[in-house]
Amino acid sequence: MSEVLVLVETSGSTVRIPSLELLTLARRLGEPSAVLFGSPEDSVVAALAEHGATTLYAVPAPEMEEFLSLPKAEAVTDLARRLSPTAVFITSSPEGKDIAARVAVALDSGIITDAVDVTSEDGDVVATQSIVAGRFVATTRVVRSPAVLTFRPNSVEPSPAPSSATLETVDLSVSEVARGARVVATTPKESTGRPDLTDAAVVVAGGRGVGSAEGFAKVESLADALGAAVGASRTATDVGWAPHESQIGQTGKTIAPALYVAAGISGAIQHRAGMQSSKTIVAVNKDPKAPIFGIADFGVVGDLHTVLPALTEEIVRRRT
Amino acid sequence: MKVVVLAKYVPEPTATWAFEADHTLARESVEGRLSELDEYAVEQAVRLKEAGAADEVVVLTVGPAKAVDALRKALAMGADRAVHVSDEAIAGSDALGTSRVLAAAADKEGFDLVLTGMASTDAEMSVMPSMVAARLGLPQATFAGALSVEGGTATISRDLDTATTEVTVTLPAVISLTDQTDEARYPAFKAIMMAKKKPVETRSLADLGIAAGDVGLEAAGTSVLSIAPAPQRQAGTIITDEGDAATQLADFLAARGFLR
Amino acid sequence: MNTLRLVVGLLMTVVMLGLAGRRLLYLYRVGGAGQPVEPGRLGAVGTAIRAELVEVVAQRKLLRWTAPGLAHAAVFWGFCVLLLTVLEAFGSLFDPTFSLPVIGQFPVLGFVEDLFALLCILAVVAFVVIRVREAPRDQGRRSRFFGSHLGPAWFVLFMIFNVVWTLLLTRGAQINAQEVNTTDNLPFLRGAFLSQAIASLLAPLGQDVNEVIETVALLVGLGVLLGFTVFVTYSKHLHILLSLPNVALARRPSALGALLPVSSGGREVDFEDPGEEDLLGVGNVEEFTWKGLLDFGTCTECGRCQSQCPAWNTGKPLSPKLLIMGLRDHALAKAPYLLAAEQERDGLSDDARAVASVPLVGDTGYAGDPLAAYAPLGPGGVIDPDVLWSCTTCGACVEQCPVDIEHVDHIVDMRRYQVLMEGAFPDEAGAMLNNLEHAADPWGRGASQRLAWAEPLDFEVRVLGADGGDRIPDDVEWLFWVGCAGALDDQAQRTTRAVATLLHEAGVEFMVLGEAESCTGDPARRMGNEFLFQMLARQNVQTLDDAGATKIVVTCAHCFNTIANEYPQVGGSYEVVHHSMLLGRLLAEKRLVPVSRVDRDVTYHDPCYLGRHNRIFAPPRELLGAVPGLRLAEMPRAKERAFCCGAGGARMFMDETLGTRINENRAAEAIATGAQTIAAACPFCITMLSDGVSTLRPDDAPVEVTDIAEVLLRAVRPDLDDVSPPPQAARP
Repeated sequence: MSEVLVLVETSGSTVRIPSLELLTLARRLGEPSAVLFGSPEDSVVAALAEHGATTLYAVPAPEMEEFLSLPKAEAVTDLARRLSPTAVFITSSPEGKDIAARVAVALDSGIITDAVDVTSEDGDVVATQSIVAGRFVATTRVVRSPAVLTFRPNSVEPSPAPSSATLETVDLSVSEVARGARVVATTPKESTGRPDLTDAAVVVAGGRGVGSAEGFAKVESLADALGAAVGASRTATDVGWAPHESQIGQTGKTIAPALYVAAGISGAIQHRAGMQSSKTIVAVNKDPKAPIFGIADFGVVGDLHTVLPALTEEIVRRRT
Repeated sequence: MKVVVLAKYVPEPTATWAFEADHTLARESVEGRLSELDEYAVEQAVRLKEAGAADEVVVLTVGPAKAVDALRKALAMGADRAVHVSDEAIAGSDALGTSRVLAAAADKEGFDLVLTGMASTDAEMSVMPSMVAARLGLPQATFAGALSVEGGTATISRDLDTATTEVTVTLPAVISLTDQTDEARYPAFKAIMMAKKKPVETRSLADLGIAAGDVGLEAAGTSVLSIAPAPQRQAGTIITDEGDAATQLADFLAARGFLR
Repeated sequence: MNTLRLVVGLLMTVVMLGLAGRRLLYLYRVGGAGQPVEPGRLGAVGTAIRAELVEVVAQRKLLRWTAPGLAHAAVFWGFCVLLLTVLEAFGSLFDPTFSLPVIGQFPVLGFVEDLFALLCILAVVAFVVIRVREAPRDQGRRSRFFGSHLGPAWFVLFMIFNVVWTLLLTRGAQINAQEVNTTDNLPFLRGAFLSQAIASLLAPLGQDVNEVIETVALLVGLGVLLGFTVFVTYSKHLHILLSLPNVALARRPSALGALLPVSSGGREVDFEDPGEEDLLGVGNVEEFTWKGLLDFGTCTECGRCQSQCPAWNTGKPLSPKLLIMGLRDHALAKAPYLLAAEQERDGLSDDARAVASVPLVGDTGYAGDPLAAYAPLGPGGVIDPDVLWSCTTCGACVEQCPVDIEHVDHIVDMRRYQVLMEGAFPDEAGAMLNNLEHAADPWGRGASQRLAWAEPLDFEVRVLGADGGDRIPDDVEWLFWVGCAGALDDQAQRTTRAVATLLHEAGVEFMVLGEAESCTGDPARRMGNEFLFQMLARQNVQTLDDAGATKIVVTCAHCFNTIANEYPQVGGSYEVVHHSMLLGRLLAEKRLVPVSRVDRDVTYHDPCYLGRHNRIFAPPRELLGAVPGLRLAEMPRAKERAFCCGAGGARMFMDETLGTRINENRAAEAIATGAQTIAAACPFCITMLSDGVSTLRPDDAPVEVTDIAEVLLRAVRPDLDDVSPPPQAARP
């Protein structure tokens, strides 16, 4: 059976959910093999096997994090050259796209980014993408394999398919070119304790209508009551009510959570491009003509400054 | 130092787009422009020149005849020269083909630094900087939120989810810039007029030593099967808050299983 | 003694007139350093004469301000009449018994002369009272004299007083100095009541003393007058001389409405193919036309403009008066450089060369003190960018200026240079320009959104081209120009729907351009981006001509002004009406019938580009007046003196960070009338005033801001209170 190389990411002792999604999708095309950087903990190996990975290629390279994505791209390229897989699956993220791009050039492979679905047709990989800021859906066949695909998080519900995984450690030497870009300083951001925005199941986001940094606290309170990640429109991040990494939209993150709550966000096309794949959309906005209402499953025409706190209170009450 | 900026001519994002039978964008029906995200790269390049760090800024594009408009905009913003790779055989190229042409054109032009936007506003792939860097055998630093260059080394900052990092890149290299870098300037009329006199060289595939069969729709690694308008989301219930909106909203969330 | 006084008098006259003449010649040469005037400025002799009669002789604008206006009129007419007295005085240098030919001995002349002498003195008293009451020392920047030269102003008043009393004293003494059995030295036996009164006071001193008094007073009087004349040529009181040509050469009917195209060397610049040497806007003071320089020289620092300016009244550094004064002072400081030949310029003093290199617009170090925003001698700039960009082009200054200075034109010319040549303007406006360029509307929404407003209507709006035809069909009477705000702004969409519904209700066949419409270019032009304006304007004219448009109805005051007044400049001439006018006609023709009372207190805000710029004051008021039950209350600042909403001059698209907010100032005034509804007739005003009301009344007190058409709709179709149905109804 054909092999699908899946680049997995871990967070301490757990596998990140988008990586489990990739394994789930990969099983449609063949046998998933996981590639990961570092030495996996047992729980990671177990989780990967649980989701169908048959082989686990671990690339321990302690200096890897020093050199951006290039060494990782080289490692995946080397593996792909050796294994001739049907496809290489990577999560859509700045780093994921960098790696995919390098691998595609090295292998002269067809590349598709931001796929949301994949099938096999007559032995070829066919992927579905949302394009032009989400206005169109394209299906594309990869004619030069291995197919290099990056997938958006939340494209599929991860499902287990237990197998037993063998662990293989792969040596890596970082090339001279890869050493050209070196991380010289890292300033960690204070953790909010909230879920990661890209793979959160629930996201509460605020926009221009929030009005101020203080107003944004109402968005955060609701997020905490729902156990959600906090997002923002570009307006809100530009004026500094929310940090840049929480920007959702064309030049921010593209997300597809199960529930998206848009507070004071009018829903310009650039913003919708980043969130319209959300399964359920709730909008609160003063302006009844706000475009967000056109895609909302439930909309409230009203003042978020009263509706949000009342909702937060109601949720807390119902949960206790 | 010589800076080459990779720029893309894209359809106006606000226009109504249509696709041809071969699934390529119907360019004639839509006004085009220099991709907004590439304007950030032009801006940084021009700032490098103004600061004395760069001697020459060359803007490079691959595209149809009208792509010259994008080059003129970049020239008006302050780029010195432009190179337009135009060849019918390029039409329909995918990222593999386009990166091949861009890399060859940049290589022929010669450079110390290649700058470009974080993505194009039409294809939105964000892979071109890495692909071009790979083809040129150079390091890359992508999604830079700030850029400075000193003595053969570029320093960028990247704003990531959990940390802000500072990265040094040995030149020559390819760097892509985000919209967090300085706002692109609005060129003065004088600059637009001066741009009309700046040189725009046109290059064909033959000039770059690329065989026509290596690019274009036929040589692509991917083949588009269909493009359809995204299914319209069904609009749901919209209520006007009369004091009980929070309760109704909580009921809705509970019914969908979000309050368990 | 007669010989002595003749010699002294003539000597004085020759010296003083020589000094004044030399100065005037110099000023004439400085003016000549300016650019030629644009086409069409010169040659309208009839219009110029009429303007002199109305503006100068009849003191039209001055008399709008009753007290200072009357005082000024008294002095102006007084000096006209006293010119006769001065002639008599000169005559008496030669012949003590001189009288003017023909009318010289009419008692009525003596009476009129004395009357105006008295009025002059009363006027001086009035001016003193005004200047004391409005002293900048007490009033700060609220005083219209803030920043004016106060010393010279007081000196002028003192000199007027001196001229008058010395003339009166001379005349009084003349009466007493009469030779026995001859006629009075003064030619009047009756009529000159003041002179006679003074004569009776002086009579006891005897004839000889009176003869001496007469001579001394005559010489002192002439000295004062001549000295005053010389002083005038060196001071802001040049207006006495310059207002005559300035009024004659001013734009008529006024420098409002259309902006002039960019001219260089007296020719209009062709933006599709500009000449190498063309000046685009004004970057140096000599790049103003000589008429512009004449404007600067004519300013009398009265501060009427400043008192009305929305920027100045909300704590911003722009004062039209200080701007003109700054440019004048800079022009005079730069004059030695400008008048020197090329090869002589290196030999000028360091100061003269330094002033010559000061940019017109640049950092003056302004940090809150308005006077610091003007630095005629530099070094950073003559006026601060904050001055230039504070202007809303509302035209209140032009409206008020008694000597017809064209402030807005000068400001836009300087903006043109900043934008076209330097690419320098407030950052946030760049987004608007980019949007106009790429999406043809200021918000970047794009053509595909331009018909969204019509969706909730229960009737079909006809769209050009929808039926396959590319021309407006014959059965369509009006082209409805929707405008960017009308098509894309939520609140303005309501107005658009209201107007469409009313036209539909009246059975008027109308059509819209839909996606073919672009921004008229108003914000680009008023920001100084003439290039972009020309592009948009030509494109729209092409669209309108291709469609065969002849009659256009517009809801936006800016669109109205641009299409009606500025499109003829690019070859597009149409009959353009504002919706207030068309709806008014339909009411008069009974095609629209108000059937329901609108029991509300309403105040009407005059949009600058409808009111001051286009004199459309009555139609909106008449329309509101036709609504039964409606009670209209005027704001204190209304019609010609209406206060701007803050959105004009592309200010809509710039941040307002200096001083207080213009829209809140106006909204407070509107709320103070006790109105429940603030009605306007321009989407930008409505946005600004809505914002103002919601800031001032955060608790949603029931003061609504809406368009006059929506008010009318309530009376005509009470069943459609809001044309846009509530969202539930729209999406079942």
